[in-house]
Amino acid sequence: MIVGPSGSGKTTLLRAICGLEELDGGRIELGGRRIDDLPAHRRRCAVVFQEPRLLPHLDVLDNVAIGLVAGRTPRKTRRARARELVEEVGLEDLAGGGVKGLSGGEQQRTALARALCAEPELLLLDEPLSAVDPNRRASLMSLLLDLQRRREVTTLAVTHDRAEAAELGENIALLVDGRILQSDQPQDLFQRPESEEAARFFGMNVIHGQVRSGLLELEGARLAVSGPDGAGTFAIRPESVEIGSAGQLRMMVNEAVYLGSYVRLRLGGGETTIEAQVPVGDSPAAGSIVGVSLPESRLWRIPRP
Amino acid sequence: MTASPWRNAAMLAPALLATILLFGGALAGAVEQSFTPPLGGGFDTWSLQNWQTVLGDPVFGEAMLFSLRTAFFATVLSAAIALGIAYLLRSHGSATRTAAAFPVPVPHLIVAVVAVLWLAPGGLADRLLGSLPINFVRDQAGLGVVLVYLFKETPFLVVLLMSVMGRRMQEREEMAAVYGMGVVARLKWIVWPTVRTPLAVGSLIVAAYVFSAFEVPLTVGPNYPPSLGTYALEVTQSGAIEGAGEAAAALLLGALASIALALAILGLISRRWPTSD
Repeated sequence: MIVGPSGSGKTTLLRAICGLEELDGGRIELGGRRIDDLPAHRRRCAVVFQEPRLLPHLDVLDNVAIGLVAGRTPRKTRRARARELVEEVGLEDLAGGGVKGLSGGEQQRTALARALCAEPELLLLDEPLSAVDPNRRASLMSLLLDLQRRREVTTLAVTHDRAEAAELGENIALLVDGRILQSDQPQDLFQRPESEEAARFFGMNVIHGQVRSGLLELEGARLAVSGPDGAGTFAIRPESVEIGSAGQLRMMVNEAVYLGSYVRLRLGGGETTIEAQVPVGDSPAAGSIVGVSLPESRLWRIPRP
Repeated sequence: MTASPWRNAAMLAPALLATILLFGGALAGAVEQSFTPPLGGGFDTWSLQNWQTVLGDPVFGEAMLFSLRTAFFATVLSAAIALGIAYLLRSHGSATRTAAAFPVPVPHLIVAVVAVLWLAPGGLADRLLGSLPINFVRDQAGLGVVLVYLFKETPFLVVLLMSVMGRRMQEREEMAAVYGMGVVARLKWIVWPTVRTPLAVGSLIVAAYVFSAFEVPLTVGPNYPPSLGTYALEVTQSGAIEGAGEAAAALLLGALASIALALAILGLISRRWPTSD
């Protein structure tokens, strides 16, 4: 799984792998076989693009079977194979119909069936859920995970959505400005980022301060932290920030935004700004002064570059 | 927001009205003229004499064949060339596209006159290159006519085709490439289904135009056989009153041929080629 902000080069990377973009340098291998010198149609990759790119003059089955056309498979066999895949993605009722009336989710399922029907060596998913209605994302996400596990197809997906990345990816690489900043399991990236950029991308608070005798001096308070003395950069997840009178830090609630299942607080004190999440019933009002604790066990010290 | 049918009808009304008045009015006038007895007889009498004269005239048959032949070659060749040019230019910028469309607004008559200046025996091409191996001006086969229409109609079709060869077609071509299709398969499965309807409709317009136009055949075409348009022009010049009915009958026959072609092509599109987008 590749994750990164918009413009970081995720789609370009995918396009380079499948042969739609020329390389300036380096090489691409798939299963020990060099493929960057092959044209796109010989690389045995299949792509589920952001937009489904279905062919409006073909019905669902012929769209799904498009990857078998090049192999000169007879149409009857192609359609039979496509029907199996269409059933697998839950579109059996729409198999013989056109693609124009399909919803965004149905179109993306068709595109997924098309990719699997081609029996690729590598399945590439380019933000496969971005064009899908938020209410239908969950079902398509579980379908993707299910198919990936059952078919054991090597899959590389890109997304800008870190939650989607965590849900889909066993390994996640963070791509920023065309460079992989960190490649790890989701939990490591969300809890133990190796750079300030990675911490910010994965939604963590980043705090700079001086550590003396194992205590971080921050806005007049002294917080216990691990690691050596000196300047340090720390990261903590918003959901790990504790609000209560026992907190050593005194900060003002600059903003309290209700987000359905929790309230997001933006807290300010001196030069430090921290984001926290609190349960809906326990939210302090905007403008109030609250005590803030940053538990030592949750405070991650970002390694020096 | 969806526009109501009434709003759509109101917006289309000026164009429909102009078409009905100009095309329908002219057609009604031509029908009336074609059935008017050559020596007159008032509005209450009608005759088939103009039609019989035209259909019995061997020159009309020759003119019909000449027009069909030039229309066929001009249409097929310009469609094929336009398809190739549009495909090659599909990913070029707007400057190249505009340059390709440059001949579209140039009047046919100007192109025909320039063709005569260049291609006639003793013309500019002769002086620059020595004598040309083929005679394009006033040649019996109508090569010059076809050449002028190729110059004029190819860019028109290129413009039409490039309007559908946009980003969406390129995305579909990319998809097809990733799914194992080489260039030939992509042409068959992606490009042709995308362009066939506008190409057929554009070719129909070109064929109908070339079939009935008269200024280019009059300028660069042979003295004999005439085209359908020049035939009609010539019969009116032989006698303004009696010739008008015959010219109307001849042009109505040409119009019927164009309508039959249009119906055949539109039938093909609706039956075999469901809309691409």
